[in-house]
Amino acid sequence: MHIPDGYLSPSTCAVAAGAMAPVWLSAGRRVRKVVTNRYAPLTALAAAYCFCVMMFNVPVPDGTTAHAVGAVLVAVLLGPWAAVVAVSVALAIQALFFGDGGVLAYGANALNMAFVMPFVGYGVYLAIARRAPLTSRRRAVAAGIGGYVGLNAAALAAAFEFGIQPLLFHTADGTPLYAPFHLSQTIPAMALAHLTVAGGVEFALTMGVVTYLQRANVPLLRINHSATAIPATTEIPASRRRWRSAVLVFAVGALLTPLGLLAHGSAFGEDAPGALDLHRSHLQAVPDGLARYAGFWHHALFHGYGFSHDAHPAVGYIVSALVGMAVISGVAFVVVSLISRARSAAR
Amino acid sequence: MTTPAWLVEPEARMGPCACCGRRTKGDFVEKTIAGAGRVLRATMFSSDLAGEDGYLQRADARVKVGSALALLLVAAFTRHVSVLVGLYTSTVLAASASRVPARFLVRRVWLFVPLFTAVVALPAALSVITPGHIVVPLGTWFGTPLGLTAQGLTAAALIVMRAATSISVVVLLTITTPWPRLLSALRSLRVPRAFVLVLGLAYRYLFHLLTSITDMYEARKARAPRDHDLVRGRAFVAATAGATFGKAHALSEEVYLAMVARGYRGQATAIDRRPLGAIDLLVFSAVVAVTLLAIGVDHVVVH
Repeated sequence: MHIPDGYLSPSTCAVAAGAMAPVWLSAGRRVRKVVTNRYAPLTALAAAYCFCVMMFNVPVPDGTTAHAVGAVLVAVLLGPWAAVVAVSVALAIQALFFGDGGVLAYGANALNMAFVMPFVGYGVYLAIARRAPLTSRRRAVAAGIGGYVGLNAAALAAAFEFGIQPLLFHTADGTPLYAPFHLSQTIPAMALAHLTVAGGVEFALTMGVVTYLQRANVPLLRINHSATAIPATTEIPASRRRWRSAVLVFAVGALLTPLGLLAHGSAFGEDAPGALDLHRSHLQAVPDGLARYAGFWHHALFHGYGFSHDAHPAVGYIVSALVGMAVISGVAFVVVSLISRARSAAR
Repeated sequence: MTTPAWLVEPEARMGPCACCGRRTKGDFVEKTIAGAGRVLRATMFSSDLAGEDGYLQRADARVKVGSALALLLVAAFTRHVSVLVGLYTSTVLAASASRVPARFLVRRVWLFVPLFTAVVALPAALSVITPGHIVVPLGTWFGTPLGLTAQGLTAAALIVMRAATSISVVVLLTITTPWPRLLSALRSLRVPRAFVLVLGLAYRYLFHLLTSITDMYEARKARAPRDHDLVRGRAFVAATAGATFGKAHALSEEVYLAMVARGYRGQATAIDRRPLGAIDLLVFSAVVAVTLLAIGVDHVVVH
């Protein structure tokens, strides 16, 4: 996500640096107020730490590795304003010394990774962790989700900066002067990479470090959580914990179903034969087999995820989602109970 | 006694006879150790080059920082590939005049270019991304002609050359300037004192933390040479990162106490002040000449 020089126009870089100026001022003032003269060594070591976090290769499932940014991790450990200073300094060292990220693009990189990322991530962390005890599982998961969301917010900001370049800066014949990709291309490209691999790595590292400190070094977590209580241990049985997380994942999925209402058209390869663009596929007529078997089943309860004759499409869509979930849960429940009964009989 | 071969071999061979099909992907332990090693090597190499007796090394850091910024801005505003090629060539010439191996500079910049071209520049030349006059037709895509457009190829060349020139300028600045000089130059260019102080301290202790991380990884490699378990791997990375945070925090306290013991009261002052000399004037006029020439040629070619 480190934007090199040459991708962004100098004016975009100037705007980003201008936007960062008050953030840097405020961050410097706030951190100095809290740690007074310790300011310099503490933020310097935090910056060096940030640089090192970006060097950790985290293993990912296909056998390769990826690295995390760690801005949300530093925000959780030292607070978001300290994260602004630490990540900014780490980015400066990377840009000046290791050619990672541009010098003119420094403001834009800082905006994405030293401001958007720690603040969005830390906000999500606070919203999820709320008053959970310092050593609770919930707090570690909240930090992980904060890392995931923060990284994706930063990627979205970078995609936006790239995507506006061809709109604003091109020559008379349409030659783009800087990054040539449009918003419709940059946002999906960045989202694909960061929602999957990079986001997963950020989640794993942020949550992993918080979990480790909960187990091994709670005083370090106290630096930024002086008012949070450490509880008497109330262990939830492992089986209930597993169920809880599964139910949570499905609940989030269910809440996201209305997103389908925003999409236009139908999914690729799912058109009805009548809606096919024959000319585009160089066809004269709908192929025989397709025409014969497309209407093979006429008895769908919610045809096209809606009521018959498309009455109340939004309500129909949501009702069909609810019915679908209920049916799948029912089938899953029956299958699981049959399997567990068979298992206990075998024992 | 010698180390057994299986221990030093980086990855197991995957072929049926264990003679071929070696995986080239290193695992996360090796990659992290190699990454930290690269950072240390690059730093030592650049501090060696900064100690050479070349034109750029003798020039004042303030002049070099100002010149680098001017060249970066000119590269950013230039609209013509030929001007960027000229700017890039002048950085390579300046390197060879200053006892910086031109091969090193060229390799440092162009090593990343093939990957970069495949991922960013070539797709940018396609008519789907940059519409325009198709010069290299590549067939059709859902009925619309697909190919490399003149505008797309120009955009791709612009982006590659601009990135190459900018990296070249920054690399040249940092490998010919010792770190403390660069910091005091930033300070004289009105970069806030606190930022420069933190930057200097962070750079100093970065290597300390990197060494400690390398130690932890080497210890793991020595004890678990072929552990490819994903979950254990991630837990190890998280524990190393957590332990490193603990070390960094403890170290910050020690550094603070050491600073106080030496008289630190919240303000740091730089003591490196040198008057500008003839060599600075030479570098300054060369950069002004290149800058004006680039702006002039760019302007003439545009109109």
